[in-house]
Amino acid sequence: MTTTAPPGTGPRTGPDTPRADGSRRTRRQRSPGAPRSGLVFVLPFLLLFVLFLVWPVVQGLWMSFTDSSLALRDTAFVGFDNYAEAFGDPDVWSSLGNTLFFTAVTSVPLVLVALAMALLVHSGIAGQWAWRLAFFAPYLLPVTVVTLIWSWLYQPDLGFANQLLAALGMGPVGWLADESVAMWSIAALTVWWTAGFNFLLYLAALQSLPTTFDEAAALDGAGAWRRLWSITLPQLRRTTALVAMLQILASLKVFDQIYILTKGGPGGSTRPVLEYVYDVGFTGYRLGYASAVSYLFFALIVVVSLVQLRLFRRED
Amino acid sequence: MTARSPAPAPPARSATGPGLTRRRLLGTGLAGAGALLAAGALSGCASPASASGASALKVWDLFQGGDGLLMDEMIEAVAGGDRGFDVDRTILDWGPSYYTKLAMSAAGGRAPDVAVLHLSRLAGYAPGGLLAPFDLDLLAEFGVTQDDFTPAVWARTRYDGTVYAIPLDIHPFIVFYDKDAAGTAGLLDSSGELAPMGSPQALLDAGRALAAATGHAGIVFGHVNDPAQNWRLFAALYAQTGAAFTLPDGGPAGLDTDAAIRVVSFLRQLFDGRTNPDNLDYYAGLTMFSSGRGGMAMLGEWELPTLRKSGIPLGAAPFPQVFDRPAVYTDSHSFVLPHQDDPDPARRREAHRYVAEIIKQSLTWASAGHIPAYQPVLAKPEYAALTPQSSYADAGKAAVLDPPNWFTGAGSNFQSRMCQPLQSALLGHTTPEKAVRRMVREADALLRQPDPVA
Repeated sequence: MTTTAPPGTGPRTGPDTPRADGSRRTRRQRSPGAPRSGLVFVLPFLLLFVLFLVWPVVQGLWMSFTDSSLALRDTAFVGFDNYAEAFGDPDVWSSLGNTLFFTAVTSVPLVLVALAMALLVHSGIAGQWAWRLAFFAPYLLPVTVVTLIWSWLYQPDLGFANQLLAALGMGPVGWLADESVAMWSIAALTVWWTAGFNFLLYLAALQSLPTTFDEAAALDGAGAWRRLWSITLPQLRRTTALVAMLQILASLKVFDQIYILTKGGPGGSTRPVLEYVYDVGFTGYRLGYASAVSYLFFALIVVVSLVQLRLFRRED
Repeated sequence: MTARSPAPAPPARSATGPGLTRRRLLGTGLAGAGALLAAGALSGCASPASASGASALKVWDLFQGGDGLLMDEMIEAVAGGDRGFDVDRTILDWGPSYYTKLAMSAAGGRAPDVAVLHLSRLAGYAPGGLLAPFDLDLLAEFGVTQDDFTPAVWARTRYDGTVYAIPLDIHPFIVFYDKDAAGTAGLLDSSGELAPMGSPQALLDAGRALAAATGHAGIVFGHVNDPAQNWRLFAALYAQTGAAFTLPDGGPAGLDTDAAIRVVSFLRQLFDGRTNPDNLDYYAGLTMFSSGRGGMAMLGEWELPTLRKSGIPLGAAPFPQVFDRPAVYTDSHSFVLPHQDDPDPARRREAHRYVAEIIKQSLTWASAGHIPAYQPVLAKPEYAALTPQSSYADAGKAAVLDPPNWFTGAGSNFQSRMCQPLQSALLGHTTPEKAVRRMVREADALLRQPDPVA
C-alpha cells in the first residue's frame, strides 16, 4: 500500500506535471492501475480469507446468540442465555483455568529452553548439524506420533519414566493418571515437541546480530557471561518479545496433544477450554452454547494480545 | 462390492500443450487444483471395497479392523445372486465423531440409506426425528420378526412404541481368563468353565488365587483415561445390586447412592494395587493379560480376536454375578434408517431387505466374539461349536444398557463424565462417597442442559 493517488488521477489528467519531480512522476505513472491489479492479486487470498475466516467468525457470533443444535435445523434466538449459562458453568471456568495454567507453565520454559539451545549451538560447539537436528527434529513430528511416543514413555507399568524412577529406587508416578501430575506431564511433552521452532527463531536472530559490540566488549575485557548478559540478550529483546508472543498464543490454543493423550482427564484436570468447546459442540450437539464459550475465550485472547501489544510498544 | 480395486484413472491430459501461455498454464493449474480438491472431498471417506453408483444402497458403519473384514464378508454373501445388492459401504472412524457425523447427515436430510447405531444412543436419535421407523410388516416379509430377538434387547429398539432399530449383535462387557491359571486356582467347574462367584468375597478370593497361580496379577482391568471402561464395570455391578439408575428429563438423576457407594468401595477393595493392579490404562491391561501376567481380564468381548492371537489358553464367561442378581453391561450394534428428506420407497424397501439379509448372516459376525442378536443363529449347532463365544451367549439375557436419555450411550460425554470420578476413586485419589456424589452432580448437570435433539 504505497500509493495514495485515487484511481483516474494519473499523469494523463495532469500533463503539466513538473519535469523536476521525475521520481514522483514515475511513481504516479504506475499508480492508476495499481489498486485494481493489486486487488486481482490478493483476490484469491481474500476470497478464502472471507469464506473460511471472516464468515465463520460472523456466523459463530450469531450462533452464540441462538440455541443452534447440530442435530436440528430449527434454531431460535435466545439472546444472552448462552453467555449467562457459560458464566455460571463451573466446567467453563475450570477448563479456562487449565488452559491458562498450561500457557503459564509451557510459555516460560519454551522461551528459556529455546534460548539456551540457540546459545549453545551459536557458541560454536562441535557437531553443529547434530545439535541443530536434535533440537529441531521433534518439531517436525506430527502430533499423533509425539503423543504415541510419550504415551509409551508415560505408561504406568512398562513405561520408561517409571522404569527410570524404579532404577533410582523411587516409586511409580501416575504421569497421566494423577490429577496433580497430568498437566505437568503434558507440558513436558509440549516443551520437548515445540521448543525447536523457538530455537530456530533465536538461532536466526543470533546469527544476524552484528559482532562489533561483542568484539569491542571482549577487547575491553568483558567475560563471556558479562557479554551474554549485557550485549547479546539486550540485542535479542525484540526476538524474545516476538517468541514470547507467538508462544503464548500457541499455548492458549492447546487441544490436540491433550485430546489424544488424556481426553481431558483424569477428573477433567487437563481439559483445556477448546476441548470443552469441542465436547459441548460436537459430541453434545450444542453448537450455540459452544459458540458462546468460544467467544468468551476469544475475548480473553484479544485482551492478552492487546496487553502484549502495549508491552511491545513500550519496549520500542 | 464388486470392484475391489479402484478403476484405473484416465491418462492425465498434458498441461503443456502447444501454444501454451503463462496465463493458460495458471488457468489449467487452478482448474486442476480445484478438481483435485473436489475429488478428494468426494472420495475421502469411501472404503476401497465400495462400488459406488447412484442406485447403490448407501451404508455407513463404524467397523474397522477385523470387524470391518467380517462385515465385508457378510456384505459379499448377501450381494451375490440375482437378488443381490449393490452396496456402497462407508467405514467411519469409531468414536464420538461417528455420532457427530451421523447426526449431521440425518439433520441435513441427506443421510445414508442404512447406518449402524449403538442401541444405547437411540434416545438421542429417535425423539429428534433423526431416524425413520422400521416397517415391521416389510421386515416380516423378509423373514425377520420381533420373536427373533430377546425381550431385553427388543425393548430398547423402541421409542414411543415404534421400532427404530434392528439389532445386529449384543456386545457385553465380560471376563476373559487364563484356563491354566483358573484351573490351578481351583476356579473351574466340572465342565472346565469358570464357576459362578456369587459374592464380592468370592471375586476377591478368586483374584488372590489367580495372582498366586500366575505369579503376577490376579484380575487386570485397564481404565486410566479411558472414556468408558470404568462406567461399564460400574454399571454392571450397580445393576447387580438391583438398584436402578434413572435420568428423567429435567432431573434430578435417580441414583441409589448407598448401592453406588457399595459398588465403588468394592471396586477399590478389588483393585488394591497389589493383587490386582489399579493403575493400568486400556492397552496396558490388554498387554498384561495377553502376555500371561494376569489370570483374568475384565474387557469387552470385542477383544476376543486380539486375545486369541496371544496364544494363552483362553476362556471367557459372562460378567460374574457378585451381588444380588445377574446383570451384564452391554450394548448392541443395530441398524437404523437415518432421516432422509425425500426417501424413495423402493430404496427404503431395499434397505429393509438388506437389514434382514445381513442379520441372517450373523454367524459370520459371531466369529469375532459378538453375540448375534438374531436368535435363530444362536440355536444353530455351528454357534454352539464356537468357543469361547458359546460360553457367554447367555450374557444377552441379563443385558443392562445405559439409562436412556439424549446424552447417554456409547461414545457420549455422559460415559466419560461418569468415568472420571470413578477413576479418581479407583486410584485412591478420592473416597467412594465423594466419587458417587460427583457422579450425581455430573448427571444432574447434564440433565439441566437443554435437549439439543428435541
